[in-house]
Amino acid sequence: MAESTKIQEPIGGIMEGVTEALNADAVEALAGGEPVWLAERRREAWSAYERTPLPTTRLEEWRYTDLRRKLKLDSLRRGEWAERTFDRSGAPERLVQAMDADRAASGHLVEFDGAVAHVDLLEELAAKGVTLTPLRKAISEQGELLESLLATEALPASAGKFQALNAALWTDGVLLHVPRGVRLELPVRVTRWFSAESAGAAHFSRTLIIAEEGSQVSYVDEVLSDDLPAQTLISSAVEVFARPSAQVQYVSLQRLGRGAFHLSQQRTLAERDSTLDTLNVSLGASTARLDLNARLLGPGANSDMLGLYFGDEDQHFDHNTSQDHVAPHANSDLLYKGALDGDARAVFRGIIKVHPGAQQTDAYQTNRNLLLSEEARADSLPNLEIEADDVRCSHGATVGQLDQDSLFYLMSRGMPRSVAERLVVMGFLGEVLSRLPLGGVVEKISGIVEEKLHG
Amino acid sequence: MPQNEMIQDLGLDEYKYHFITEDEPVFRSGRGLNEKVVREISAQKEEPEWMLEFRLKALEIYNAKPMPTWGGDLSNLEKVLDEIYYYVRPQDKMEHSWDDVPANIKETFERLGIPEAEQKILAGVGAQYESEMVYHSLKKEWEDKGVIFDSIEDGLKNHPELFREYFGTVIPSADNKFSAMNSAVWSGGSFVYIPKGVELDTPLQAYFRVNQEQMGQFERTLIIADEGSRAHYIEGCTAPVYSTESFHSGVIEIVVKPGAHFRYTTIQNWSNNMYNLVTQRALVHEGATMEWLDGNLGSKLTMKYPSCYLVGEGAHGSILSIAYSGDGQHQDTGGKVIHAAPNTSSQIVSKSISKGTGRSTYRGLCQVYEGSVNSKSNVECDALLINDTSRTDTYPYIEIEEKKSTIGHEATVSKVGDEQLFYLMSRGMSEEEAMALIVRGFIEPIAKLLPLEYAVELNRLIELEMEGSVG
Amino acid sequence: MSDTPILTIRNLHGKVADEDIEILHGVDLEIGRGEIHAIMGPNGSGKSTLAKTLSGHPGYEATDGEVIFEGEDLLEQEPDERSQSGLFLAFQYPVEIPGVSIANFLRTALQARLDEDEELDLFDFQDQLLSRMELLDMDPTFAERAVNDGFSGGEKKRNEILQMAMLQPKLALMDETDSGLDIDALQVVAHGVNALAKENPEMSFLIITHYQRLLNYIRPDHVHVMVGGRIVRSGGPEVAEELEASGYESFKPAAAG
Repeated sequence: MAESTKIQEPIGGIMEGVTEALNADAVEALAGGEPVWLAERRREAWSAYERTPLPTTRLEEWRYTDLRRKLKLDSLRRGEWAERTFDRSGAPERLVQAMDADRAASGHLVEFDGAVAHVDLLEELAAKGVTLTPLRKAISEQGELLESLLATEALPASAGKFQALNAALWTDGVLLHVPRGVRLELPVRVTRWFSAESAGAAHFSRTLIIAEEGSQVSYVDEVLSDDLPAQTLISSAVEVFARPSAQVQYVSLQRLGRGAFHLSQQRTLAERDSTLDTLNVSLGASTARLDLNARLLGPGANSDMLGLYFGDEDQHFDHNTSQDHVAPHANSDLLYKGALDGDARAVFRGIIKVHPGAQQTDAYQTNRNLLLSEEARADSLPNLEIEADDVRCSHGATVGQLDQDSLFYLMSRGMPRSVAERLVVMGFLGEVLSRLPLGGVVEKISGIVEEKLHG
Repeated sequence: MPQNEMIQDLGLDEYKYHFITEDEPVFRSGRGLNEKVVREISAQKEEPEWMLEFRLKALEIYNAKPMPTWGGDLSNLEKVLDEIYYYVRPQDKMEHSWDDVPANIKETFERLGIPEAEQKILAGVGAQYESEMVYHSLKKEWEDKGVIFDSIEDGLKNHPELFREYFGTVIPSADNKFSAMNSAVWSGGSFVYIPKGVELDTPLQAYFRVNQEQMGQFERTLIIADEGSRAHYIEGCTAPVYSTESFHSGVIEIVVKPGAHFRYTTIQNWSNNMYNLVTQRALVHEGATMEWLDGNLGSKLTMKYPSCYLVGEGAHGSILSIAYSGDGQHQDTGGKVIHAAPNTSSQIVSKSISKGTGRSTYRGLCQVYEGSVNSKSNVECDALLINDTSRTDTYPYIEIEEKKSTIGHEATVSKVGDEQLFYLMSRGMSEEEAMALIVRGFIEPIAKLLPLEYAVELNRLIELEMEGSVG
Repeated sequence: MSDTPILTIRNLHGKVADEDIEILHGVDLEIGRGEIHAIMGPNGSGKSTLAKTLSGHPGYEATDGEVIFEGEDLLEQEPDERSQSGLFLAFQYPVEIPGVSIANFLRTALQARLDEDEELDLFDFQDQLLSRMELLDMDPTFAERAVNDGFSGGEKKRNEILQMAMLQPKLALMDETDSGLDIDALQVVAHGVNALAKENPEMSFLIITHYQRLLNYIRPDHVHVMVGGRIVRSGGPEVAEELEASGYESFKPAAAG
């Protein structure tokens, strides 16, 4: 029968996203020479990737971002890792500027086209046992720590198609370990630059932050590039552990050029009495997708989740957040605010999940959008799933335009319309920044937003 | 006694509409849904050819569409759909006087208080028993003004042109799996026409009763409120409690013409072995107002999202709902507003109470099309949780393509506060009185919009749910 | 120069932009330099419409007549141009601008008055702000708060006066600045106006009010009574006292005609 000679169609999209560059050979090329546990972990992740269909817009979580249209996996090369050193004199201007603004720090790490090119850390901190290590180097130097925590509890390959892809193909990244009781006064600053040579490739980098009991650290992760001549996939997987009573701030500042497809997958685990705050700022890239899952694992844990975005032209931002309250007596408070100009589009999908038994949860979620142009568009889905009764939860979402009364008020004080608009937008976004008192960062972000508004 | 234990003992399963009427239907289709059943229904109703074709086409669509994977738990539904009777004809013809309705059926409606309410506060009454309307009557003064309030079948027979112009236009068969099913096997429901400028000062009511075990009821209602008219339509539903599951799937289409004002109220109190999957939609034209008032108290699972398509400039839509989910119940309800014209406004207010293992879900969509300038929408959801086993979810979809619009959504979840209870009890109220008072206060903003008699009934139902054996 | 009036209104007709009902039915008024004028009138007489029309509020529209401010046609100008040429409106209901501090707001407003290539000197600005706040008995931390966000009625009005002091207009329109204020807040407003008037004898004021009580603290040179969208009586401070004694009844259109 003719039927039987037909090649069997893969069921449910198996092998979707396996391309000439992204395939099992690529995994083997990385796994060869690595410790067995890591090689196996990569292979398992790859197998999970192969088995998981490419998300379609029929999936709730991808309803507004059509990957098949937005991401041309087939045309991507694989970003090759190469030994690099950072040479300030030959570095691109934007990178130098970004780094100059970051002088005051506990340590710096610079990644160039997906390979760590520079690390420094204050000696006094190194003496206290703090480590800031390129991930590739950590395989040999801190193998035990990696084996137990890299892509296991926080972002395992089972978390999703792209989580699996990153776990299989990561080439470098950062391991930050802060020992028990050690407090870092200044932030750790990471700058990741992608040059024109990196264009057209897929880059996979991981960040693993472990703040042991009673420690304290702020971490600023800035990823940037000029406009890229071809679609470039920049995948970041971020795992943050706040052990009991630790205090952690994680800030991601995305300033990629057009052409970039940024995929940032983050999971934060907050244990008893810890504070684990995040701020995600999206300003650049053609498409930026954030998956952030905050898990409140112990009583007294607290997570503030802040987000800020400003889109123009045809930028597309998609934020997918979840606040998972597993333990009772924990708090989470999310505020994502964005302004959209040109044809830009922003999606916010958030969920507060209060698991059975997570009594005395306080969880809030707010998304506010400002549409500045006729063509801009915002979609907002703030969801709640509550399975405990003694909770205080609320969520809110608004989409609106610039308030005409506010504009008139400012203009009646002599400001031209454009200045008045800028001031109102800055005020609107400023609410997010005012909640994160992190020296240097706020000024830097304000400056960049202002710059973008001027343009 | 700790509060939770006390509530466990509240005797929530009391359902005062559980009584079975002994009777023998005059016709009953076989179990399950197939072409033969569809043809039988059409033949029984002596329908024109186009309607039979419409039904058969809808059956095809129904068979082609997958079961929804969202919403409530439908895993057992396919089995139920194979077991139930899709058409049960209780008597040969519809009556216009209660005296002509067979005694056992009339008694049923008397126990539900329908003829009494008709006397006192209604402009007209329709009563459906199993698959057919058994009674339909409209006060003469409204008949004289050209108001049509008839069974859907008589609408098709007596007003074929008006009927065909609008039937299936607001909710096409292909809208969703259950609108397709209803389009294939619909039976019973109302056909309403309010002429230009006519304002009804008292409501019309349709009452739906399922008496048989294992049956499906597929009411179909088509309402046209002509320019500048004003009316209020109330729908009530009950059924006895059986150990097997039953199914109700209605399709309600409403056209609100320019300047008209229409309110549609549902007090759904199906027994909690009922799947209740309903599609309700109104097309709201220029300067017109549509109000859905949706009270969901009964059923095992309800999935129902009354919607307003605001297609004319200045149209207004409002969807106010109260959901009560007791043990084993899931109310997956909400609303949908589409702003497709400038200066349109909408409001969704949803209040839910979940108790025991009950689960209340708000699911809503607010969409503003590009060009619908100066549209305003406000959504408020408040959920009250009574026990630690209760659950509530909120899934609001907000899709905005027009900058000159103002859209807001707010939701809160709370429990009945110990402080509140204590305060009331320190003023001499029992714990259950205090609880009922708080719950009543919670739903008051919506309950107050009901005609007085219905507000009283709703409060009574809530109190009944709350009362029990304390101590 | 001092002889030409700062503001001349001739036969001004006006309405709410979205409606067809005329509210101002031909207002005539002239304000000289350094003069303090008061317009009094009952609710709905058109006082606030006049203030909003003069400042260019998009919700109001002049349908006839002309307004000359500093020799220019005021009605042709955008709100920011009116402000830059020296007109200031103290709002009846000041707007909340979350996230924008008063200091930032004022800095931006002053910067807007400079040429494009000119930068506001921040030290001068800071000095000026502090001295103005001192003049008005204000706590310096006030300037760090977001504009009107969560302010009490009194604080909002205080903020309006501070802006007036910083922007140094030639003519200040005070639109029912006294409404809803307790006696302390009222004195703050009056103190501010008097201090500025004393400091700059060329500065003019048009105080719009329903009640006589603000005029107990600020002595106007001229008082006008507005009823039914027209000025029906003008005179010296004695007019306000008259009103206090007999109310607006005697000025109702029928009586006035």
